[in-house]
Amino acid sequence: MVVREKPTCLCLLLLFSCAAWSQPGSAVIPNTTSAINSSQPLSQRIVAYDIDAKYDPKTHSLDATETLTYHNLTGQPLDRFPFHLYLNGFQPNATWIRESKRDGTRDVKFDKWESKYYGADDIKKFEVGGMGDFTSQLEFIQPDDDNKDDHTVVQVRLPKPVPPNAYVRFKINFHDQFPETLERTGWKSDFVLGGQWFPKVGVWWQGAWNCRQFHGMTEFFADFGVYDVKLTLPQYEVVGASGILVSSVNHSDGTKTVTYHGDDIHDFAWTASPHYKILDDTFQGSMGPVNLHIMMQPAHWNQSGRHARILKETLSRFEAWYGPYPYKTLTLVDPEHGSAAEGMEYPTFITGGTTWWMPEGFYLPEVVVEHEFGHQYWYGMVATNEFEDAWMDEGINSYTEVKVMDSVLGQNTSIMNLGGIAAGERELQRLNYIGVADLDPMARKGWQYATSGSYGGITYGKTAVVLLTLENIIGEDTMRRAMHTYFIRYRFTHPTKEDFLRTMEEVSGKDLRWYFSQAVYGTQVLDYEVLKFNSEPVDWYKEKHERKQAEKKREEAYRSNVWLHRKEDFVVPVDVEIKFDNGEKVREHWDGQDRWVRYTYEKKAKVESVEIDPDHKIQFDRNNFNNSRTAKPNRAAARKLANYFGFVSQFLAQILAGWLV
Amino acid sequence: MKEKGNLISSGARIAGRHKRYVVWFFVLNLTLAAFGSSGFRAHAHAILDNNVYADKLLHGFDPVVLIEMLSRPEMGSPNSSTMPAFYCVFLFFLTTLLFIPGVLRGYASDERLPRDKFFSTCGGNLWRFVRLVLFFLLIAVPTFGILSGIQGALAKLAGESSSEKLPFYTRCAGFVIIFLIMTTIRVWFDLAQVDVVLRDEGRVRKSIAIGLRNTRSNLGQLLGSYVLISTVAVIVLAVGIWVWHVGVPSSSVLGAFVIGQLILLLWLAARFWQRAVAVAFYRQKMTEPDMEAQPVPMPAIGMPSVPEGG
Repeated sequence: MVVREKPTCLCLLLLFSCAAWSQPGSAVIPNTTSAINSSQPLSQRIVAYDIDAKYDPKTHSLDATETLTYHNLTGQPLDRFPFHLYLNGFQPNATWIRESKRDGTRDVKFDKWESKYYGADDIKKFEVGGMGDFTSQLEFIQPDDDNKDDHTVVQVRLPKPVPPNAYVRFKINFHDQFPETLERTGWKSDFVLGGQWFPKVGVWWQGAWNCRQFHGMTEFFADFGVYDVKLTLPQYEVVGASGILVSSVNHSDGTKTVTYHGDDIHDFAWTASPHYKILDDTFQGSMGPVNLHIMMQPAHWNQSGRHARILKETLSRFEAWYGPYPYKTLTLVDPEHGSAAEGMEYPTFITGGTTWWMPEGFYLPEVVVEHEFGHQYWYGMVATNEFEDAWMDEGINSYTEVKVMDSVLGQNTSIMNLGGIAAGERELQRLNYIGVADLDPMARKGWQYATSGSYGGITYGKTAVVLLTLENIIGEDTMRRAMHTYFIRYRFTHPTKEDFLRTMEEVSGKDLRWYFSQAVYGTQVLDYEVLKFNSEPVDWYKEKHERKQAEKKREEAYRSNVWLHRKEDFVVPVDVEIKFDNGEKVREHWDGQDRWVRYTYEKKAKVESVEIDPDHKIQFDRNNFNNSRTAKPNRAAARKLANYFGFVSQFLAQILAGWLV
Repeated sequence: MKEKGNLISSGARIAGRHKRYVVWFFVLNLTLAAFGSSGFRAHAHAILDNNVYADKLLHGFDPVVLIEMLSRPEMGSPNSSTMPAFYCVFLFFLTTLLFIPGVLRGYASDERLPRDKFFSTCGGNLWRFVRLVLFFLLIAVPTFGILSGIQGALAKLAGESSSEKLPFYTRCAGFVIIFLIMTTIRVWFDLAQVDVVLRDEGRVRKSIAIGLRNTRSNLGQLLGSYVLISTVAVIVLAVGIWVWHVGVPSSSVLGAFVIGQLILLLWLAARFWQRAVAVAFYRQKMTEPDMEAQPVPMPAIGMPSVPEGG
């Protein structure tokens, strides 16, 4: 009996466990691969979302049922699960609004609260497979700022922990109210972008739950998995979404249900508008064909070719330089003009940004498309923690943006090349940085930056120029190999900043701590200057006429002194080029350790000019104007600008006097 | 002399005969602009003259480098660079206000106006012109404000439509309407100015009323002439900028200066052409029977004395 009873108990326990963690049916993460060009899953799939949603365009709201299967791969039992409810950030006392009002956002100043800004993600029912209804036990938490009015993170405590390697299934009924587009989600006119729209479980990372509140400056962080999403909405809507379109079924009530499936992604976004015009194209990737699904506003249709072109150019460079794009689709959305939904990334789904009048030589649409596509690698696949290491997605992406745009459109013309006015991407990144150079280190949590300006200037601008400089320190080929290694090694994982930095050191074979400690972890600022130089005759004590004769024969020797100065606290070795008036050039290498250095030469020539970093290897010197000095002034540039200034003031004077008198 | 032909050609003949006025005003504006830009020029020289980075602004034009230059502490505050220019703009407005009566008197004269007459006309009409400008502002500013408000509201309304281009077209249509209405007001006050000067009319309100009556009764002819001349000015500006862009190397400071000043000179000439049209109209009107029948005193100086067709 006893002997017989034991197996019976074990079987019952096993059955109970199955019933508890797998309801209904067997709870596993599907091994589907229909949305990727691979016969095997590419990521360690931790989540599976199955969402059935109905969108009402009249009220800009949505009702949905979400079934989330979570695979506990943490190695320890879990009895607490936090969930993001990002749309609750769009409420007057939420942390997102507070911080956005304090720091300013890209979209709204919040001088006045308007009801159209209101957004909500309201959980109506929360069930845990095999454990029952936990709706009343949900508890909002504020792990970052203790703002009790912030409801962007909710947690549930389970009476029994989920054992390691087991599955748990959550069934969540929720109602979304979308705001007029804020932070790349919401509606505008009859357009809608559904981003961060469903309850999403946090990430078990570095031995703890990582589920940050929604902050004014931060983005997102989630685990890889499988998404199956059904959207029901009016038949007149043209819909696009992450993943691949599985089916579209029309109903007799004028609605339709579109079903999407995504593999090895960590978020799901969708869009709908009656007005989209569609351009489908194909990119032949190294893992298989990629369908480029480009959804344009009718007024921008004449730019669809531009969008397709830059997308293909970008894809080809990313594939060649960093690694393959494994997904079968890439949806590029040109959102409603003025919708504040421009320039956003979700897995296999990005938004661009243009206007109907965009001239050919102004490459803003190209820059936006390139940047957002780049996030498919630096965020989409290499899924860093955007809350805590924003530089690892935005910054690394800004670096690759410079590289790609330089390659496609030319280094000095990658932003604009219009009517004689030209600007390059790398100078723009540097400009973005130098105004906030000493405020924050790159290694800072996203919501802890001093201002929105420093968040942007450091995470985007500084990272780009720091990596461009690193490229010059270790060599372009080495840098490309290091980036490739980083991508291949850490795709479909959540690497840390040290993972990235160690990869750079490992591939280059160099100890780069001296650089990273200043550039990544520090707030040191770099500013070298040519302090002064002079050239005095060696025989200065001789009679004038003797020296004149020697000078005529160009035989007079000069003793020249050149002083270089490190004005700020960032130390990096630097080259210096000294040009003499006989055409001779001398190169020096200064380690920059001391505050200043002096070079002395005796030559039959005077110093004509001195230039620090003549090859422009250092991309983040705060002041480029003092990096060089010439003996003879060249007044032409200032005259040119003064001429422009005078022209404008004369013109204004004529307009004013002409109209008033 | 009675100006024959249409107003535009009559105005052109008058302005052509007295082109020295345009040159004076042009030189005055250029001089003032030189003073006005001195602060900016000094700062720019201090930053740009002795380094090689400035080359990015000389050979080609990199707006990022320009922004970097403008944000340097050596540039001083934006006010220190721009305020002198604003003062000089205002000074040009004041000098225009002072000297335009003399110009109008000169335009009405078939002979070169003696210098003392020119300045006495300027001095004698200064306060009248100040009042005319105030009346002009009293009418033009609210009109412009209301029209701009309507334009903005319509554009906002258009912005709610699904057509992205509709707000732009709405604004364009609004600009055309605002331009036509404001030009009409300008015509009206140009005629009032001519009336004040040529009839030596101290009661500016009477001249404003006459200007309004004449504008209303000859709106098509006057507005058409002004709009045509404005169109010529816009074409000159567009062609000039195109020539500047295509024909002048980016490093040629002298070339840019010459083409820029030529554009400004022609632009200024267009406005003087409009004033000459107003004078020509007034003179034509003066010789018409219904106008002559009115007890309007003839101007003291420079009114038609040459036989018709002379």
